[in-house]
Amino acid sequence: MTRLTPRFHVAAGIVAAVLLFGLLGPLVFRGHALGAVVGGLYDHPSGSAWLGTDNIGHDVFTNLMYGTRTSLTIGLVAGLFATLIGVVVGTLAGYRGGAVEEALMGVTNVILAIPSIVVLILISIALGTRSTLAMAVVLGVTSWPWTARAVRAQAASVRTREHLDVARLSGAGTFSLICYDVVPYMLSYLCMAFVLQVSSAVLNEAALSMLGLGPSGGVSLGIMLHWALAWESVRTGAWWAFVPPTVLLTLLAFALLMLQSSLDEVFNPRLRRFVRRRRTTVAAPPPAVRKAEAA
Amino acid sequence: MALTADLTAGTAEAEAPARSGLLRYLGRKAAWYLGALLVAVLLNFLLPRLIPGNPVDAIVAGLGRGGVEGSQLHAIHAHYVHEFGLDKPLWQQFLVHLGHLVHGDLGTSFAQSPASVSGLIAQALPWSIALQLPAILIGWLVGNGLGAVAAYRGGWFDRGAFLGSLFTSSMPYYCLAILLLYLLAVAVPVLPPTGGYSFGNSPELSADFVLDALTHYWLPFLSLVLVFVGGQAVGMRSMAVYELGSDYVNYGRGLGLRDRTIVRYIFRNAMLPQVTGLALSIGTLVGGALITEIVFSYPGVGTLLFTAISQNDYPVVAGLTLLIAVAVLVANFCVEIAYGIIDPRIRAASRGER
Amino acid sequence: MSTEGPATDLAPADAAAGQLLTARGLRAAYGPTVAVDDVALTVGTGEVLGIAGESGCGKSTLAAVLSLTARPPLTVLGGDLTVDGQHLDLAGRPPRTWRGGVVSLLPQGAMNALSATARVGDMAVDVVRAHRGRVPRSVALDLLADRLDALDLPRRVIGAYPHQLSGGMRQRVVTVLSTLLDPRLLIADEPTSALDVSTQRALVELLRELVGRGLVGGIVFVTHDLPVLRAVADRIAVMYAGRIVETGPTAALVDDPRHPYTAALLSSVLVPEPQVRRRRIGGIRGAPPDLADPPAGCRFRPRCSLATDACTDDPPAVGDPDRYATCWWTRDHPDERLEPSL
Ligand SMILES: Nc1ncnc2c1ncn2[C@@H]1O[C@H](COP(=O)(O)OP(=O)(O)O)[C@@H](O)[C@H]1O
Ligand code: SF4
Ligand SMILES: [Mg+2]
Repeated sequence: MTRLTPRFHVAAGIVAAVLLFGLLGPLVFRGHALGAVVGGLYDHPSGSAWLGTDNIGHDVFTNLMYGTRTSLTIGLVAGLFATLIGVVVGTLAGYRGGAVEEALMGVTNVILAIPSIVVLILISIALGTRSTLAMAVVLGVTSWPWTARAVRAQAASVRTREHLDVARLSGAGTFSLICYDVVPYMLSYLCMAFVLQVSSAVLNEAALSMLGLGPSGGVSLGIMLHWALAWESVRTGAWWAFVPPTVLLTLLAFALLMLQSSLDEVFNPRLRRFVRRRRTTVAAPPPAVRKAEAA
Repeated sequence: MALTADLTAGTAEAEAPARSGLLRYLGRKAAWYLGALLVAVLLNFLLPRLIPGNPVDAIVAGLGRGGVEGSQLHAIHAHYVHEFGLDKPLWQQFLVHLGHLVHGDLGTSFAQSPASVSGLIAQALPWSIALQLPAILIGWLVGNGLGAVAAYRGGWFDRGAFLGSLFTSSMPYYCLAILLLYLLAVAVPVLPPTGGYSFGNSPELSADFVLDALTHYWLPFLSLVLVFVGGQAVGMRSMAVYELGSDYVNYGRGLGLRDRTIVRYIFRNAMLPQVTGLALSIGTLVGGALITEIVFSYPGVGTLLFTAISQNDYPVVAGLTLLIAVAVLVANFCVEIAYGIIDPRIRAASRGER
Repeated sequence: MSTEGPATDLAPADAAAGQLLTARGLRAAYGPTVAVDDVALTVGTGEVLGIAGESGCGKSTLAAVLSLTARPPLTVLGGDLTVDGQHLDLAGRPPRTWRGGVVSLLPQGAMNALSATARVGDMAVDVVRAHRGRVPRSVALDLLADRLDALDLPRRVIGAYPHQLSGGMRQRVVTVLSTLLDPRLLIADEPTSALDVSTQRALVELLRELVGRGLVGGIVFVTHDLPVLRAVADRIAVMYAGRIVETGPTAALVDDPRHPYTAALLSSVLVPEPQVRRRRIGGIRGAPPDLADPPAGCRFRPRCSLATDACTDDPPAVGDPDRYATCWWTRDHPDERLEPSL
């Protein structure tokens, strides 16, 4: 097996901790129900409310657990959607080539050119009420083109390898060819693409929520920040309302990025030293563009 | 270029095929971006009309709750339906919409009724640009300098600068904004926490106002510039490290070129992607720091968008999203053109198989 | 080509008198790996000295030391050069103007030797200005154009970017740039290795012409490709594990190798030549030693079928400075030819 770097372990550790906190936290710490009013406006942290209360007297710690859960759910589902669509479009285009490729890549490039925050805002508004799942789908549906474009390049290069000719000669159909012979060759690569998609979905969810377009009726890390800002927790010094979600988001973003880059090192040892940015195998938007999107 | 006559002839000969390739390249790019623009406009047109009911129903229902009388409501409803052409078939509406856009008419705000959308945007946009343009430019300059020096010097300086840059650039920019706001305006109140200028002051060209606006400027500016510096430094460093190890650097030294000549070569090669980054960031001038403005209640486009969303002011939202999209598309298009002109490698590729 | 000025005396100081290049005590290392270990060389005026050896024996490192282009992780531990009467102690920082002016580098892989965003003409202007101060652009370009004319190369390359030139043309253009300022010594590191046979020949002819016209004083031509070396070199030095093990005029060295390694090397490449087949030895068994921890005594000992107990001591140089081999067997068998039964 390839050797994993310490960086990988640190990153994976942080991600796992956040995952556990979001998934198991609500089962372990059952002091307060989600949505229960346990105090007043911005009560200080105390024995019963470890991280104080928010603007309507809800326990911040409870919100944080459920908020992390929502954000992670959205991130994972959106990442899954984006990767899935990206893989299907990318492999089809890369593998079939010709007119199919032209058409699919045309669509991909047009969607890539339009800043995704614009599409996100417009779709979110059109939806009216937004469930967690709907948010996740919207985020996934708007971010697949990066993966598709990169997967296409990979698929096109895989296409030329010999084992495919053997499979083709033995009469395998396009679909089974793609599933059994093309996709497995890209798994390492998809892994990294998925991690980046999750990270950008989590951040985009937070951004949308802060614009007032978050999931309706739930709590997510972004929604927590939205309320904390709307109810002046920062300016009144109620740090417990905004510091926890801020720290969690930062941790998650940093750890996912580190995870991705250390996976890159593991899978592509050649790149370990000098990574030429524009030519790396990274599936996600280059940093400058990502920033624009996560507006 | 001071070439002798026959040298110039030789140059032109080498250039000729490149030029026609360039034209084809530009034409293809232009077609792509026009297509993307059309899609953006279409989305902007269609999606708000998909709102359950339609925006006019929604706004009139809002007015109704506000206690406006039935007959009056009816008249308002009819007025808006007519203004938006909702009584016509969709394709006609789209053509009307396009016609308006061409004349720069983005419609009328629902929430601040007589005010035109373009007027509202015109008020907010200068604030956003004034906030972001310097942040982008300074962040770009400082970041590239830092990255190049880090790559050149190596050692602890490199490691420290690299880790710091990696952290600020991977941190969500609004998280940094919130933490800075708390630290520098609340915990240690050295800077004003909110707005673009003090309450009671109003925008005018006086020394007082400019000074006041400047003190409000620092925090949002700082939060943006840190992120830019980090991102650019990380990028520049990896490019420069890569270029430093390349053969042409070694050959240049072997020919006795001066260090600054070699650094110029390195810069020229490493800069290409960095210049792209700069141009792309300029494209995000409008929509790049929406949340920063919300965090600091800065009177720019982000705050306008935030208010419009909370008031269901669809014309303003649609106008802003269109503007954001157009800015990004134009910037990307310019980058591709510039790239095609600057980088001979790309020109070669565009003349090649594809 | 004149193989002139063969110094008859063993004393290096006297040898320097008639030589274009005299290098002594060259040592260079990558950390613990001493890739060039106490190497001495001479090149006569108008001479092409070939450096041969398997991959990994330190040829490129030697080229970097001679062309003054060593850079981390490679450090020059010591040595000194005398080029055309000018002396340079390698322990210090070599002066910039020596590079390109006195010694010049012709690298392998010309594709990447030129910056992709600079035209050939721009590069020439920079080179000229680096050595002659702020000369006008047109003067530098005229110099390049004249040189291209003289060597029958097309002027259109002046306005071209590297990617617009074919591989062979690029290598020739790089050669012209390397010799633009008439350096005394040209260090060519595998210049032909990426080229096909016909462009190889064109490059070799170009190099020959440069020496013939006196545009460069002499050439150190590094390659693992012995056939090319036979075509271009007046003398050959064979390198093994960071040291020169044998040197001599090309014909003499090829006809009658005096070191078992040279014999093995020749036999593994020169198989088709009938007079060599006679002494056919077969490929060289084993691999070169780890230069971080080379074997004591003769470094070829682990692979040498003629090795005896004596070989654990450093072997002596047998012969004179122009034709010697460092080998115990050669010392003990001065009249015996190296036979294929190795
Ligand atoms: N960048 C480097 N770092 C560490 N060791 C190196 C490096 N380059 C070469 N070496 C070592 O130096 C020795 C000589 O290498 P080189 O001069 O490139 O040989 P050649 O050109 O004859 O193939 C080799 O054994 C190699 O392991
Ligand atoms: S010195 Fe001994 S080991 Fe070395 S080459 Fe001569 S015979 Fe072989
Ligand atoms: Mg070599």
